[in-house]
Amino acid sequence: MWLLAIKSMLADRGKLLTSLLGVSFAVVLVNLQGGLLVGLLKKASLLIDHSQADIWVGHRHMSNVDMGDFIPERWVDRIRSVDGVERADSYLIAGSMAAMRDGRSELVVVIGCDPASLLGNAWVMEEGDPEAIRHPDGVLVDVHAVETLGGCKVGDTLELNGHRAVVVGLTRGIVGFTNNPYIFTTLERSRRYVQGVPPGHCSYFLVKAQPNANIPELCTRLRDRVTELDVHEKATYSWICKHFWLTRTGVGMSFGLATFLGLLVGLAVTAETLYASVSERIKEFATLKAMGADDGYVARFLVTQALGTAFLGSIFGLAGAIVFGQSISNPAAPVMLTWWVGGISVILIVIVCLIAAWLPYQRIRRIDPAGVLRS
Amino acid sequence: MTNLAPAVAAWDVTKSFGTGASRTPILRGVGLTVARGETVFLVGPSGSGKSTLLSILGCLLSPDSGTVQVLGHDVSKFSPESLTNFRRERLGFIFQSFNLFPTLSALDNVRLAMTLRGIGLRTARARAIELLDQVGLGRRARLRPAQLSTGECQRVAIARALVNDPTVIFADEPTASLDAENGQIVLGLLTTLVQLRNAALIVVTHDHRIFPYADRIVQLTDGRIAHDPSQSAFELSI
Repeated sequence: MWLLAIKSMLADRGKLLTSLLGVSFAVVLVNLQGGLLVGLLKKASLLIDHSQADIWVGHRHMSNVDMGDFIPERWVDRIRSVDGVERADSYLIAGSMAAMRDGRSELVVVIGCDPASLLGNAWVMEEGDPEAIRHPDGVLVDVHAVETLGGCKVGDTLELNGHRAVVVGLTRGIVGFTNNPYIFTTLERSRRYVQGVPPGHCSYFLVKAQPNANIPELCTRLRDRVTELDVHEKATYSWICKHFWLTRTGVGMSFGLATFLGLLVGLAVTAETLYASVSERIKEFATLKAMGADDGYVARFLVTQALGTAFLGSIFGLAGAIVFGQSISNPAAPVMLTWWVGGISVILIVIVCLIAAWLPYQRIRRIDPAGVLRS
Repeated sequence: MTNLAPAVAAWDVTKSFGTGASRTPILRGVGLTVARGETVFLVGPSGSGKSTLLSILGCLLSPDSGTVQVLGHDVSKFSPESLTNFRRERLGFIFQSFNLFPTLSALDNVRLAMTLRGIGLRTARARAIELLDQVGLGRRARLRPAQLSTGECQRVAIARALVNDPTVIFADEPTASLDAENGQIVLGLLTTLVQLRNAALIVVTHDHRIFPYADRIVQLTDGRIAHDPSQSAFELSI
């Protein structure tokens, strides 16, 4: 029966095309919205996810990696003394102003790491070497921020908080949630490039655990040692930062609403098409009921068609999302199409199509098979 | 005992439609018996209750009063689900406008009827092709209704009605959409196939040209049996 239901669905090409357009549109929209949200949230914790640190230690209630408060740097010694810590380095992340030759200025985020360990430094380069930050006045900027920073290239100089900075390398795709350019340099130099950092202060302590150390237990020991600070495992702090943008801003609501509207469009189009298809076939369905088709048979027939529409629509929608997503994705607004977003979109569209089949099913249930004789 | 029972037997069947003052009696105490293997035509003017009687005998409608037995079963005692099962297993239907799925081929329309009984598509295919061969459409089995003539569509409908080997077949104006020649061909084919299966055939028709195919012609007028060769004038007058 299911094969005949699918054959019947495929043969009605006009209606099939309409419902596939609706379902594919919904799948594309869900994937693009979901992919964009995943991409943006990934940016929210980019520095954490790519740091070689196992544990992040910072001020109380730290919730956003780009907006850290300052903590006394001398406390790093307390952390280094804890059993299981291989290395702990100070780390600075703070906003500053970059002045360009044409007189414009741009808000940037300066990131200062320990020049010896390079914990928290840039990890992917378009041009140059990450270790080049050790060069005098050396900074790394992202290739996608070059235009924002006046078209600078390797060897050019920038002015950060009134101090000279030399571009010694270009990172690739390291762009934060707010899209303000990240500028990587050494910890000592970063304090010059940022205004208002109290002397002897930094934003975080990045902790590298000894091999085979139990990270949760190490976190507990660190909390006991530096009670004035928050201590989080890398993954935990990564999630906290994502959660910050998701809940403290309209990002989650905005993307959720767009996704919901996409599903609603898919539901409306599929339901309308299936209903119209059934309405045109009332006599045929009445005949089936007269011949002994029970409600279960009719339901299976419609569910098969609904699932067929969902299956085909998902294939076209996922293909469309990949093509469209790749063409619009960029470091400022990355579209990260993940298998689980794709999976969720397919599950949602299957639910939508099953809901869409419910209305025509109710219509057929109410058909009086004797009516086919009276007509 | 049910093996010996007539295909259809109805006693004192009444049926009305509407409520209150607009309630209109359609059948007023109809009695009818159709033996197995017999072909009976129900004739009469429009509004005489032919189609309503066919619906009641075909277990599609319930009478307001009276008794209907189909193949020895008192169908009034069946639940709606049992009636559906009974129709699926024992009865066949042919309609005036064929009611074939336009998006399915002739072969698939016949196979669809078999899937109602849970028969697999491969098994159904062989049986459907056999039936379509018998109605002369073996070579046109892959065509859709829109690609077939009206006579061919009705032959597909006949194959669909017979594919589950029903014991009683109900046909509502099966030649009304066909020209004279096709009407004769289709009815000849239908009665032949029905006789081969020793099934009973009950046909509602206005078409005088096909009367020769009937074993018995029962006339309804104003919701009553006006003429039934199997009943005496005395019985009809009661």
